Amino acid sequence: MKGLEFWKHVSIGRYVESDSMVHRMSPSTKYLWLLAAVLPASVSRSAIVVAAVTLLPLILAPLAGVRIRFLLRGVLPVLPFVALAAAIQLLIAWPNDASPVLARVGPVSVTAREALAVLTMGLRFIAIMTAIGLFTSVTSEGDTARGVEDLFSPLSSLGFPARPLALMIAVAFRFIPIIAGEFESVVKAQAARGADFGAGARGPIRKAKAYLPLLVPVTIRALERAEALAEAMEARCYGTGPATRYVDTAGGAADVVARIVAMLWILAALAGPALAASVGGS
Amino acid sequence: MSLIRVRSLSYTYPGAESPALSDVSLELDDGEYLAIVGANGSGKSTLVRCLNGLLVPPAGSVSVAGADPSDPVGRAAARRALSIVFQSPPDQLVASVVEEDVAFGLENLGVPRQEMRERVAAALRDVGLESERTRSPRFLSAGQQQRLAVAGAIAMRPRAVAFDEATSMIDPVGRDDVLRLMDELVAEGVAVLHVTHDMDEAARASRVLVLSDGRVAYDGSPNGLFASGEAARYRLGLPRSYAAALELGLEPVVGESAAALGHRIASSDGPAEAARRLVGISRTPEARAAAATGSAATGSAATGSAATGSATTGSAATDSAATGSAATGSAATGSATTDSATTDSGGASAFSLRGASMRYLAGTESERLAVDAATLELPSGAITALIGRTGSGKSSLLQLLDALALPDSGIVVSLGRVTAEPGTDLRAVRMRAPLAVQRPESALFELYAGDEVAFGPRNQGLSGKALVERCRAAMDEAGLPFDEYRDALSRALSGGRKRRLAIASVLSLEPEALLLDEPTSALDPASRDEVMRLIRSYADRGRTVVMSTHSMDEAARADMVAVMRGGAVVAFGPPGQVFGEGWDPAWGVGRPFAYELLEAVSRDGEATQ
Repeated sequence: MKGLEFWKHVSIGRYVESDSMVHRMSPSTKYLWLLAAVLPASVSRSAIVVAAVTLLPLILAPLAGVRIRFLLRGVLPVLPFVALAAAIQLLIAWPNDASPVLARVGPVSVTAREALAVLTMGLRFIAIMTAIGLFTSVTSEGDTARGVEDLFSPLSSLGFPARPLALMIAVAFRFIPIIAGEFESVVKAQAARGADFGAGARGPIRKAKAYLPLLVPVTIRALERAEALAEAMEARCYGTGPATRYVDTAGGAADVVARIVAMLWILAALAGPALAASVGGS
Repeated sequence: MSLIRVRSLSYTYPGAESPALSDVSLELDDGEYLAIVGANGSGKSTLVRCLNGLLVPPAGSVSVAGADPSDPVGRAAARRALSIVFQSPPDQLVASVVEEDVAFGLENLGVPRQEMRERVAAALRDVGLESERTRSPRFLSAGQQQRLAVAGAIAMRPRAVAFDEATSMIDPVGRDDVLRLMDELVAEGVAVLHVTHDMDEAARASRVLVLSDGRVAYDGSPNGLFASGEAARYRLGLPRSYAAALELGLEPVVGESAAALGHRIASSDGPAEAARRLVGISRTPEARAAAATGSAATGSAATGSAATGSATTGSAATDSAATGSAATGSAATGSATTDSATTDSGGASAFSLRGASMRYLAGTESERLAVDAATLELPSGAITALIGRTGSGKSSLLQLLDALALPDSGIVVSLGRVTAEPGTDLRAVRMRAPLAVQRPESALFELYAGDEVAFGPRNQGLSGKALVERCRAAMDEAGLPFDEYRDALSRALSGGRKRRLAIASVLSLEPEALLLDEPTSALDPASRDEVMRLIRSYADRGRTVVMSTHSMDEAARADMVAVMRGGAVVAFGPPGQVFGEGWDPAWGVGRPFAYELLEAVSRDGEATQ
């Protein structure tokens, strides 16, 4: 549609229901595999490991029935930042850079070491964005919350509020469309009365004042709706005693195997290069 | 021992000057069906919240299933015994999957998983939502969401279920489903407490509790309440069939259906005489169509008196019937001059839609057609009521008329302007025919009522004396006298006044037309009637109103009725035509009481011939 934008129908996350083997994994397994991609991608110094981690989501995507093009589209929003960072890398010469010069444009030269660094950085971003994209495509809102509860449940015996934390995440998900809907309804109500948000107002105070007709009612409505939900939860005996859970996320033998593989992968990715170096050096 | 026992309960909100409840006493047994009624702000919701400890009552004043909700241990027991279904369907759903939401209460009670599965399945079966088990509640209709909330309540196997205005935000079909679930609960021995503004709903209960200013004003049978003639004093009305029987000089019976009353009329008078009395004209074949139109007056008279119990609204209703036929005339000319109306704002149509379609999220998987090739000429100077189930496209259509949304295809002409044409000043179009969105009071933002009303005209560039005069006129028209209310705190006003303030703050734009999305929803009967009269007096000065409503009796008081289904306009005409021979049960909207009655009488007539 055209005209004032309509927010509340926008779906949150990109979860697409399916029955693939990746979808069937328990949420904590999925979190572990997310970690297996994100952790080495952000900390490993080895270009080979980063390249391998970049391939990981792309290999898993077909198993999950998620199109690779769809995953790569998720990288688009970060491309300008990557380009900026790459430009800075290339413009500033590294001290003690003895690697061969690949190209020279005026005063700027591109050495092999610089090229490798830029390439690795680009791959890191691609790996992280595609891994998160894959995770959100195969994990429902409910599982995203339950996975947190499962991951932190070992700590709950020490008094860590794993279940409340999970519920908080679930409620936050619930509230995104609610707040968007309230925002839209208030924008429409004020626009019908000739409000013209921000346009024409000069200076920060006058600009802020122009948004007052939005902020006051949206804030009040958000609080009212939060209170209504809190009442409904309390009325349904929330917090009255030890709770059980409807959805079983323990996972089967496949999950155990997948978790072990994920942990071995993380170990290999982090410790592998150092090990290889020491073997090669001896 | 009673299931619920309340003894001289008083409750004052922190910081409030006067108590919300004072000296309320009440006993309720297992399997009782109690309706709790009273004006907006009379303490109904406060009472329900004190029963299960959402508000902490003074110790010893409340007992639910033997537990005292004023202490933490008793509170848990009270909540297990008494479930609540709240007013707003989406605000009480916690989980993102239907079955998980039903399980939420059971999880909190620590029910083992296997038993939980059985109870969730049984509850979903009871409310008829098994097929939606794995869907997201977001994609359910408001009526389905409310049934889901009922499933969440009954899965906990409570001894009582309180419905806190749980039928006020859903369409007539969804409402009937929820009312049927109440009957089933009562039949199973579960007590039902039903907080409602609708006297037809109250009449279904076996007992009625009337709250007025936080005190119990009446506790007894519905019959006793309505026979006492006291209902109007507490801003309540009468059930529709009860009011209609009184109107016709028959013995009123509480809870009588239109069919039963129709049969009674027909058998006491004979069908011909009955129809004559109903519509005031002889029942010749030629007159039948006219009779259907004329009976709109009967319908309004019935609802008018049902709302206030006074005779003055009856005459207002007769006026509306008169303008109704005038509007029919202008509608005819409107369609005759379709082509010239495009650019001529002085034409007979205030708004026209030609094959207008609008979709949300076009090109994505969630694409949804909100308005489907709607073609409609809305006559100027008349009230048009938009009816249809929730999600049928009423709000979207109103937004198209106000240029808050623009059509993806087709043409929308708003007061002579083609909204989607480049160069159209959308802001000007919107201010000439402003839309009051659903629950417009939630968009109020100024501290004082007067400033709120002034927001619109200020945007038009008014100031000084002209601005004050504009605000005075708007507030006076809305029944909130300027001198008395300009310095009133907007948020502290009662529900009905807040709604009228929101309407005053669009009236102050001095618009040529008014677009209202469910202007009477969630108001008590007296406030509803005040808003309807305000709309009528605005239209009586030759201006145009388009309003959506779930109340068919309100729609019958309009000059024209447009029916929407699945985004398309499926019927359009004067109420007599739409609700008369043009009526189609497949619309899923119900029918005004007067037309049900007329139908019952004529069916009875055919049966005896």
